[in-house]
Amino acid sequence: MAFLTLQLLFRRLVLAIPILLCVSALVFAILRLLPADPVGMSLPPGATAADYEKLKQAFGLDRPLFEQYLIWLGKLLSGDLGGSIFFRRPVNELIARALPATLELVSAGFALGVIIGGAGGLAMFAMRGGAGEHALDGATTIMMAIPEFLWAILLILFVGVSLQLLPFIGRLGPGIQLPPPVTGFLLVDSVLTGRWDSLRSALLHLILPATALAIGLAPLVMRVLRSSLLETVQDDYITQARLRGVSERRILLRHALPNAALPAISLIGVQGGFMFGGTVLVEMIFAYPGIGNLMVDAVRNHDLPVIQAVALVYCVLVLGINAVVDVAYMAVNPRLRLAGSR
Amino acid sequence: MTTIDRRNLIKLGAGAGALMALGVPRDVLAQAAAQGQLTLAFPADLPTWDPNARTLAAVQSLYKLVFDQPLTQNPDVSIKPALITKWAFDNPTTLSLEFRPDVVFHDGTPMTAADFRFSFFERAKLPVPEGGRRLDTAFIWRKVTDIEVQSPTKAVMRFSEPMPSAIAWLAFLCSFVVPKAYVERVGLAEFTARPVGSGPYKLVEYQQGARIVLEANDRYWGGKPAIPKVTIEIVRDPTARVAAFESRRADVAIDVPIREAQRLGTQPGVTARLDPIADIMLLQITRNGGFADDRARLAAHHAIDKVAISRALFGGAATPISVPAAKGTPGYPADFEFQFSTERAQALLRELGHSAQNPLTIKFASSNGAFPNDFEMARAIVQMWRRVGINADLEPIELSVYQERLRAGTLPEATLFSWGNAVGDPEMYGGYLLDPKSIFSAFKTDELAPRIQPLLTETDEAKRIQGYRDAHRFAAERGFTIPLLQTVKTIVHRNEVTITKYDNGWVLPNTYSFKS
Repeated sequence: MAFLTLQLLFRRLVLAIPILLCVSALVFAILRLLPADPVGMSLPPGATAADYEKLKQAFGLDRPLFEQYLIWLGKLLSGDLGGSIFFRRPVNELIARALPATLELVSAGFALGVIIGGAGGLAMFAMRGGAGEHALDGATTIMMAIPEFLWAILLILFVGVSLQLLPFIGRLGPGIQLPPPVTGFLLVDSVLTGRWDSLRSALLHLILPATALAIGLAPLVMRVLRSSLLETVQDDYITQARLRGVSERRILLRHALPNAALPAISLIGVQGGFMFGGTVLVEMIFAYPGIGNLMVDAVRNHDLPVIQAVALVYCVLVLGINAVVDVAYMAVNPRLRLAGSR
Repeated sequence: MTTIDRRNLIKLGAGAGALMALGVPRDVLAQAAAQGQLTLAFPADLPTWDPNARTLAAVQSLYKLVFDQPLTQNPDVSIKPALITKWAFDNPTTLSLEFRPDVVFHDGTPMTAADFRFSFFERAKLPVPEGGRRLDTAFIWRKVTDIEVQSPTKAVMRFSEPMPSAIAWLAFLCSFVVPKAYVERVGLAEFTARPVGSGPYKLVEYQQGARIVLEANDRYWGGKPAIPKVTIEIVRDPTARVAAFESRRADVAIDVPIREAQRLGTQPGVTARLDPIADIMLLQITRNGGFADDRARLAAHHAIDKVAISRALFGGAATPISVPAAKGTPGYPADFEFQFSTERAQALLRELGHSAQNPLTIKFASSNGAFPNDFEMARAIVQMWRRVGINADLEPIELSVYQERLRAGTLPEATLFSWGNAVGDPEMYGGYLLDPKSIFSAFKTDELAPRIQPLLTETDEAKRIQGYRDAHRFAAERGFTIPLLQTVKTIVHRNEVTITKYDNGWVLPNTYSFKS
């Protein structure tokens, strides 16, 4: 199994290279072809037309598009994402600061989405044909009909403002200081440094934005899992199990669920990728300092190096999540393991 | 089927209880009164903690909390002493300065004229690394040939040519004094990570894009701020800023939507301020297409009912302006008013053969969300123009696209634009917006050059100010600009907090206090 996993990951890695090259070239070209002027936006009073030209040269924006791309790619291969036009800082530094927040948020949203989706799917199946199933079906329709950013606002207004149950601004409450940086991940650093106050505050601040993200994933998982379970329980081996006197609970959890979960896992892989896209608006609304928020700033200021880098990071994350899902799929599906070992 | 039995009910209750226990009780959220600390919901973050790097009006207030400017401004925007106590031009190119002797940086070292020289001359001349760029101070203070330090409290600035706006610039964007010894010892990266200034607050914590925590500077030369701790939550989304205020997670919310500010202002214990500030909104116009003739541009200006726009979109708080300057600032001609008159607009258009039946067709661009109610205002103007016989094709654009078109000379006939000028000096209005040589001007005409360019080096202050008043008026009368309104600043705060309102929109918690 370990060998197969490594083999799969290696295949994914090889495939990722051309994908990343295509994405980077596409983003690079589109940004350069837009009729927008990042240098002009950053010029202070007192600057002249000659200053403008000098700056354009300094950022390499006066060179042919292909040459610009090759220079950027060369630097990228040496780990240099360039310098931000707006922030006047290395892009590596900006991303290193913001990425852990996004990873924590997406992980929480992903986990929440899978748990709610899985539990909801089982619940819908358990209540099939009854009022409970119809109610849950209606709930999933509502969840899917409203976009993530609107859920974010609704959660803020209802849970944050009306009930005042949970915080919704930033990552920590007032009066609670950041733990000393160890890994850059707030939750991890809080645990490593024994800062339970910041851990509690960070978890509380994570609930609403993670829920807003999870709402995009959970209803789809619920529906697919329910449908898949309905099909699976018609199979002969389930009937055989019933005839052997196996309890319904055991049939569901030990026999039906592992097989019925396969389509749901595939779906989670696809939707998990979309979840990163959802962070852009969700992070802005919850003032969550991740790469989504960084992207908003970069787009507003047409900060080309940051936009390119964040787009690439998103692409890497989506490929990463797909690889993880593939591994999970293989772990659950014995046929894939057999196919892989042949 | 799942039924709600006793066991399930207990499970549900335990779950809800756990959530409540994790959650923050309401009374804890009333931070201001509880711990003497102030929380602001602020719309923008700093790009960098190097205060000399960027001229960004939106965050000047944030820099002012940690760093000091050589000069500062009163709430009515008039210049007042800060680090510099006395200033005088010895001759048109020599400016003598005297500094306070009692200023210390947050690290305990004294601020001297050498720090001033470092911030305004040495840093600006530093070589630029490959792919990098100079500090914005290098552009602003490019006329400075040297700063002679005569003593720890005395310095002389020497200029290559007269810079009459130097006094204003000493209180304007990017003009902050940083500690020479600290910056040189730790390097720029460490300085921006742990900035040290001489301002009223020390930086305790900074989470990029999330929050800034400040602690009062006990040794501040202007006196220790009344509020010992300030937390600035960076909340870019206006709805979330309103929510933060309503849930008592913020005591003060900055730049909330006009209608939300009006609504919140009706709640007990809350004050909502909608004030016009020194920033202005105007139409950047060109001679392109349908605006080639002066009469077409003048007709377009006459057709705009600025009072109605102010009432409809800004609660009547946006002061209409007739020239590209805020009312009450030195460059505003008090005796001039550009009339709103649909009759006059129609008459001018008739001279050009246009009417409501045969309208003049133009292109009109506007940002959408770059500043309050921008696109709504543009749509209102389109309606007003249609009534007199101007058919405007409205296009939403990004600011970066505006910059590209400005540079390329391809702006349409009119573009809605916002211009910031916290210091109120007329050079920062007409000097940049009307001078055909300026990279910020849209209307390039040789008729304005002789009126504006001599003023950039005019050392007779009265003559300089009068010159700008005349140039502003001339530009409006000839249809070279269509000024609209002063920008409105909205600040919503709890009544327990006393705030100082600045006419340039500054938000300075060191001037705030809690009511006892």
